[in-house]
Amino acid sequence: MSILHAEWTKFRSVRGWVLGLAAAAGLILLFGLAPGMSGSCGKHGPASACTPTIGPGGEQVKDRFTFVHQPLAGDGSVSVRVTSLTGSIFDGPGAERPGLAPWAKAGLMIKSGLTPGSAYASVLLTGSHGVRMQWDYTHDKAGPSGFGPQWLRLSRTGEIVTTASSTDGVTWTEIGATRLAGLPATTEVGLFVTAPEYTSEMHQGLLNGSQGGPTQATGAFEQLTTGDGWTGAAWHTDWIGGRPDWTELPDPQQQGAGFRVAGSGDVGPAGAGVSVTQTLVGTFTGLIAVVVLGAVAMSTEYRRGLIRTTFAAAPRRLRVLAAKAAVIGGATFGIGVVASAIVVVFGQRILRANGVALLQSSATTQVRIVAGTGALLAVSAVLALGLGALLKRSVTAVTVAIVVIVLPYLLAVIVLPVEAARRLLTFTPAAAFALQQAVKQYPQVDDVYAPSAGYFPLAPWAGLAVLIGWTVVILGAAALLLRRRDV
Amino acid sequence: MISVSGVRKRYGGAVALDGMTFDVRAGQVTGFVGPNGAGKSTTMRVILGLDAADSGEALVEGKRYRELTDPMRHLGSLLDAGALQPSRTARNHLLWLAHSQGLGARRVDEVLEQTGLGGVARRRAGGFSLGMRQRLGIAAALLGDPPALMLDEPFNGMDPEGIIWMRGFLRSLAGQGRAVLVSSHLMGELQGTADHVIVIGRGRVIADATVAELLRSASGGRITVRTQAPEAPEILAAAGAAVVPTGDGGLSIAGLPAEAIAGVLQRHHVAFSELAAHRATLEDAYLELTRDAVDYRAEDPR
Amino acid sequence: MSMRRALHAEWTKALTSPGTSGLLVMVIAGTAGLSGIVAAACSGATCGADVALTGVQLGQAIVAILAVLVIGNEYSTGMIGVTLAAVPRRFLVLIGKALVVAAGVTVAATVAVAGSVAIGETLLPAYHATLRPAVGTVLYLVLIALLSLGLATAVRNPAAAIGTVLALLYSVPIIVTVVTDPVWHDRLVKYAPVSAGLAVQSTEADPLIGPWKGLGVLALWTLAALLAGAITLQRRDA
Repeated sequence: MSILHAEWTKFRSVRGWVLGLAAAAGLILLFGLAPGMSGSCGKHGPASACTPTIGPGGEQVKDRFTFVHQPLAGDGSVSVRVTSLTGSIFDGPGAERPGLAPWAKAGLMIKSGLTPGSAYASVLLTGSHGVRMQWDYTHDKAGPSGFGPQWLRLSRTGEIVTTASSTDGVTWTEIGATRLAGLPATTEVGLFVTAPEYTSEMHQGLLNGSQGGPTQATGAFEQLTTGDGWTGAAWHTDWIGGRPDWTELPDPQQQGAGFRVAGSGDVGPAGAGVSVTQTLVGTFTGLIAVVVLGAVAMSTEYRRGLIRTTFAAAPRRLRVLAAKAAVIGGATFGIGVVASAIVVVFGQRILRANGVALLQSSATTQVRIVAGTGALLAVSAVLALGLGALLKRSVTAVTVAIVVIVLPYLLAVIVLPVEAARRLLTFTPAAAFALQQAVKQYPQVDDVYAPSAGYFPLAPWAGLAVLIGWTVVILGAAALLLRRRDV
Repeated sequence: MISVSGVRKRYGGAVALDGMTFDVRAGQVTGFVGPNGAGKSTTMRVILGLDAADSGEALVEGKRYRELTDPMRHLGSLLDAGALQPSRTARNHLLWLAHSQGLGARRVDEVLEQTGLGGVARRRAGGFSLGMRQRLGIAAALLGDPPALMLDEPFNGMDPEGIIWMRGFLRSLAGQGRAVLVSSHLMGELQGTADHVIVIGRGRVIADATVAELLRSASGGRITVRTQAPEAPEILAAAGAAVVPTGDGGLSIAGLPAEAIAGVLQRHHVAFSELAAHRATLEDAYLELTRDAVDYRAEDPR
Repeated sequence: MSMRRALHAEWTKALTSPGTSGLLVMVIAGTAGLSGIVAAACSGATCGADVALTGVQLGQAIVAILAVLVIGNEYSTGMIGVTLAAVPRRFLVLIGKALVVAAGVTVAATVAVAGSVAIGETLLPAYHATLRPAVGTVLYLVLIALLSLGLATAVRNPAAAIGTVLALLYSVPIIVTVVTDPVWHDRLVKYAPVSAGLAVQSTEADPLIGPWKGLGVLALWTLAALLAGAITLQRRDA
């Protein structure tokens, strides 16, 4: 305990170290709160306000599709045969080529209302992922994987929606059932078609990213059959989420029970975009400041022989190392949590005020990001401390720490192809940046899940575990040397 | 050779030098003494142009140090024996210094031999004891064969043998006609070495005198005489001396040299048993002079 | 005359410091090694055409260590006092150090770049060595070294100096990738030292800043850092 106290006194009594800690916090605040980014949301009158579409789970979602529907009072069912699904890809204005996005969707949907973001369940044929059941934006269940024309059926009983598919309209296979809590008595049911943006990796100079463009899909349906409970109203078309302005979607055509419906957009999770992580860009500079602190805390002991005084006062060397790690780690964690909490709260407000369409993140995600940033800084500082004890030289210790923590991230973001980038971020200390990931990866959404878009290969706490693992190895080596080495 | 006049220097609020003025002459060892924090090192740093004086100037051979070409051929210096890169060998440390003055490796080997480091020349200087580092620092100061040398606390960390060597070495350097300025916070170290002493305190010169003068002033010219004759104080007072009885038959006399006292007493047939000049050490003189100038005085341990 | 002697002294210092040659070898190994790893990762996948020289991303850190230590060691041991007593014209000390650092880094960087180019030719099907990116990369590393030297002279604390340099080398480029505001993004790409300097590697048809102009921007940063170092060295008590 007295060692801890001694190390704490040593730490807080050097003005440069306190300044360094303040600098780390200051850099995080500076970059987090600087208005380095602006958008057009709400900048051109109230009509331009970007109101995020929020799904039933509270998360931000995409909800844009062509809906040919009519109300259904109470229970009932509907079935249809999808005869074809075709599409086109837009590479630029006027540049259109035939092609179908793998996750283009055409099928049946039951939706609690016409407001974007409202609860729904659907059964659908995809471009290349077979028949699926999807509901409430984030849920997906695979049905038969067959291609070609498919029969789809959707039925409601109370709050339960059941879906099934068939290749001949005679033998039906149930795909799944789900309970949509709070589904109103009268729902909107009908055909829907939509097609997401296609994405591909992009490499331009020293910048990595993904590029994409809108796609459009056209579904041909026949034998749309309604079951019991229908009011018998006419089919009505709505472009949920607004009719796309990037393409001239033709109106749906009806011939008896046959339909041709074109759609563009997506029904699903929101995907990548500007998120709360944006406010934490100062972490990289703050990290360098705390790494310098960690390395110097150990290497100064060697420079003027202070280490001899230290070990004379506390001969159990490993306890000294542990006490130093605790002091540096604790102080850094505290500063990191405070600074990142401030930027997460106020940085997001500033971005929104600047008209940036910021992705909504849940409270638990934000808390994890704040605590995670503190942990990332603290463990990095301790890693640097270990390197300082190992190498005795602050300059080399600082550089090695930065090179192993920050450089892999930089390479993953700017040069490496996605696969290599993801591999790099699973085993290097940079894996811990996953702690700051705000977006979630879904198998039913095609995207370039690249680190440059904010997606990390490891789960947040697994990423931290990798960094801790490295730190433990380095501290262990330092401890071994410290015990053996004459000072 | 070295001339410092009216140098003032502050660090923040603290006055380090407050009108420091003195000259260092050739052919003698000049001691530069004062308590810790008196301004010895600062003065030397100002002379070398490492620290800039706020006012006043320090000249070497009439020039500012920065204006000298190959300055180490004019003034050799040793400020901090630890100021070297530990991983470099002693010889290589001297080699780069030699190259900076247009000198070659032969001169390096000469000064290594001169300072007794020939055997360890190719060892890492980081492994040297403080005494060996002091020798290495002296070797560096000698590289340019300069007419003036300036050494800050060169006795620090030396063993008795080393101190004796250093004294003889400094004397021989002065004997070759060089000006040698040696700082110390222990006056005793300079006894028998220095010809001239500059005593400083609180950033200014308190005394600037030859060692003999300093000793005389410290003892106040007092001479002790032991006699049983009751008329002795009167006789001596009549001859112009100030006489103070010390009790046990001793008289402390000031104002007359020893020979005169003996003459006067003999003329008046006064028997005396002992006539001794009060022997002051340099240490006494120093303590007397700097009594008021010590910044950091320890509490009287009682 | 005194310039030559100052240079000779710094040259001897560099030669007799046991760390120098090791660091220069590491510049070569780090640069060529990382170039090789990236080239291997890109050989089957889609990467930009400019990845053959990616190794500078690591090489520049080692170059920075080398340059920071050249002056930083003197401050941390107090040897700067001895140096300035030997060469009281402080400006000459900095020039001497700059020339020695530049010479050492030029040699190491040339070998490193040649190695990277050779690896690129072997592993990357789409890569064809051209002179400008290769020569530019050597110059880039030299400029980064001098920038580090200038900063370390100005900051005087080696750990703080290397922190500042690494922040410039690694944090700023990351910030550039995150800033999506087009005006600020373009400004940062054009005027931040690393992104501007590495424009010399680019084979893009229509870059934000031309290759030599970008290297020029880095050269201005370097000049500013050296100037700041020179002023500090001149003005402050050693």
